[in-house]
Amino acid sequence: MPRNRTVRLAVLGSSVQKAAASGYPSSRSSALKRRIVVGGLVLLSLVLITVSFRSSALDGVQGTAATVLRPFEIAANRVARPFRDAVGWAHGLVNAKSENKKLHREVQALQLQVIQNEQAAAQNAQLRREVNFQGPPSIADFDRISTEVLTNPQSSIDQSVTIAAGSSSGIGDQDVVINPSGALVGIVDKTWSHVARVTLLTDQTSSVTSTDLRSPTAVGEVHPGGGNGVLVLDRVQKSKYVGVGDTIITAGTLGKGALPSMFPRGILVGTVTSESDTDVNPFKTIQVKPAVDFSSLQSVIVLVPHR
Amino acid sequence: MEGLKAALVLFVAALLQLSILTEYPPFRTGSIVLVVLLQVALLRGSIFGAVAGFCAGLLLDTATLGTLGVTSLLLTVAGFWIGRYGETTARDRAHAPYLSVAVVTVLYAFGQLILQFVLGEPAPAGVVLRSIPLGLLLNLVLTLPVYVLVRRMFAPAELGERVREVRLLG
Repeated sequence: MPRNRTVRLAVLGSSVQKAAASGYPSSRSSALKRRIVVGGLVLLSLVLITVSFRSSALDGVQGTAATVLRPFEIAANRVARPFRDAVGWAHGLVNAKSENKKLHREVQALQLQVIQNEQAAAQNAQLRREVNFQGPPSIADFDRISTEVLTNPQSSIDQSVTIAAGSSSGIGDQDVVINPSGALVGIVDKTWSHVARVTLLTDQTSSVTSTDLRSPTAVGEVHPGGGNGVLVLDRVQKSKYVGVGDTIITAGTLGKGALPSMFPRGILVGTVTSESDTDVNPFKTIQVKPAVDFSSLQSVIVLVPHR
Repeated sequence: MEGLKAALVLFVAALLQLSILTEYPPFRTGSIVLVVLLQVALLRGSIFGAVAGFCAGLLLDTATLGTLGVTSLLLTVAGFWIGRYGETTARDRAHAPYLSVAVVTVLYAFGQLILQFVLGEPAPAGVVLRSIPLGLLLNLVLTLPVYVLVRRMFAPAELGERVREVRLLG
């Protein structure tokens, strides 16, 4: 029996080979073409991965292509906005009553807090002037660039977003990104002329030195937890007090080290949801709920240092 | 003309995925681009599927400013494989769109995980495993409307244009 027989012919046991239909490529040439095309595309993909991963040779091309796509993405966002707002409105209605009650209580408590804070801030400013205090950089020392979020994370693994501003707006790599309420979102990972990629705080590679607002000596490192959007404040000594409900902020640069923190002091990170000690862990186990809702980022603010 | 139609439908699907669907976290587990690509490949064959997959992947990698080639590689293989399935055993099988989407969704998630791991980027297997059931469900829900739409745009090939025989290699 010939090796290149058809299934039907093999079953019938015939030795006569069916000729390819005229006008169509023969099976052999078609199979060869198929292999060449798929092999070529796989090879091209591998070359792209290698070049893109190992060097910045393709960054220009990618940046230009992303800039070309930007208007389409912005247009799609604009088209979707009314629907998104409608969904938000409907969702808001469900929780409106209970949320209203809760917010009324919070407003009452915060009104008192604001008066105390204003007094403390005025006193703080006066004392700083008197002693000529030179503290670590704060958010006030940065320029703010507000921009739109173009694309959200694309999969459960992906923890990055793209924004509609880049180096032409003064944004650089490692610039800090916050949301409009002032909570920490992440850092700029890579910049192009008109777009930039932001690595979120929930990415496994993210980490930020943070402290408890109520207990400033409780300093630790915030990094992602078990993958369900929870953060962990690690490396806080057991002797330090951290309570559930405490606010966690960025610690900024501690002391006069050679490597200052890229995060200015005082950016809101989140709220402590649980705290415990174990005998086997020399540090406290602290879970933090991020202040940012990473699932629905619409716009962000990039903090650009005065260069 | 067919290429242009495929480019258009994949571009719209990519925009939909990039700018709208992925704003809602549950939709990040599924992929409308993958579903559209598989239906196009199923109806138009392996070469068409592979080329469409490569282009769609390149578009997604460019728009998300990710490592170029990663999504292209996965979608090229997915498009080729399902295209081949469409050319051979999937002919006129009603379950073919669902089966191809189900199998490729799972394999795509693992492929993505493996590539991330190989590239030295965070590859949390637990997160991926947990996201597979929801991603599978979403993609299967999307399959019927997408298949109906794509089938309307890409009418099934005439009998004469289809693969006429399967050769045994052994």
